[in-house]
Amino acid sequence: MKEKVLIVPCSGIGKSLGSVAREGAYIVTEESCPERTRLMPLALLVLGDKETQTELSSAGAIAIDGCVRACAAKVVEGAGGTVAHGVQVLDVCRRHPDLKPSGISALDESGHKLAHALAEEVKELVDNLRGEVPHA
Amino acid sequence: MPELPKKKVGLIACSGEEIPEGTITRLAVRQVLESLRPQQTVTICLPLFLAGGEGDRAFARFHPTITVDGCEKRCAARGTEMYSGKPAVSIVVSDSACPNSAALGSARRLSGAGRQAVSDVADQIAQQVDNLLDLKWDRRSGRPIHGSPPEGESKPRQAACSCGSGIPSQALRVAGREVTLIALPLIFAQFRETGKLPNNSTKTALMQTVRIYNPIPDEEESAYAGAIMQEYAAFCRAGPVAGGIDNVLN
Repeated sequence: MKEKVLIVPCSGIGKSLGSVAREGAYIVTEESCPERTRLMPLALLVLGDKETQTELSSAGAIAIDGCVRACAAKVVEGAGGTVAHGVQVLDVCRRHPDLKPSGISALDESGHKLAHALAEEVKELVDNLRGEVPHA
Repeated sequence: MPELPKKKVGLIACSGEEIPEGTITRLAVRQVLESLRPQQTVTICLPLFLAGGEGDRAFARFHPTITVDGCEKRCAARGTEMYSGKPAVSIVVSDSACPNSAALGSARRLSGAGRQAVSDVADQIAQQVDNLLDLKWDRRSGRPIHGSPPEGESKPRQAACSCGSGIPSQALRVAGREVTLIALPLIFAQFRETGKLPNNSTKTALMQTVRIYNPIPDEEESAYAGAIMQEYAAFCRAGPVAGGIDNVLN
């Protein structure tokens, strides 16, 4: 797969983990793999924007969700896209029990660290999707 | 006694992650929720209208809603109307607070002008909240003029979204088709616990309360009342009414 991988974070507005999902998506699309990924706003899919749906149908998507309601993954699938990977921030959080994020409008240091850990995991998934598995 | 959720204004931000105006919608809504009007507002993530259940989709039918969009696509306003209910007020950031998008910074990091736009939009939202709730504020004390706010109102709080606490609803058959009525389980519970029996005098009060949260076509009022009273009678049979019910139903 050589098209840009679509990174779809949830639009979480009420929980810290939603903010972590969004920040992690920004790190991936702006810093760690900007040439291979593109951020897709969920709101456009909610509305059923045709252009966005067409783009979605021709590329793999990684949905990043901040809570178990999994809006990002469900909306991508509902819009006819394929969720190549659904990432739950809560799972990343469990793998980093030392990090207890807080803040919603502005994440604290722990939240930023968790966002970077999340971005690392997502970057690996992007590598795998594009057949660019890094060697140790 | 179970209480019906208090009437609050629902705020829905588009949250468009691609543009700074989207970030402004989200941060402005947070500012209203956390510090400007914490007791009068509630929020929900826009995608929950698709991904959530009937209770989530009832949001804009239950709360008068202000949508805040970053651009002219108006995803929040149109999505809310499509899946939940027509917003009472629709604000578009690019129309009002910030005509020069380039000066706002990036979606991830707003500039000083972007942060100012957040405050401006938040003020605009708060004003609309007051209009919808018919609230007048004492600018000196920072409190509503009529009625004293609950303790701690003026303190900033960590306002959460209402996902997972969707408005309870109940489906019933009216005139041969299924309709879903918002808040009906809570209304039933409240009536039952105040000892209201399923009779004609209760019917009027019950229908008045149901109408607050649900549009009922005038021409179907009678069909709705019949179906609701039948459900209420079944609800009362399933649990005791204060003061007894057996003597009325038998």
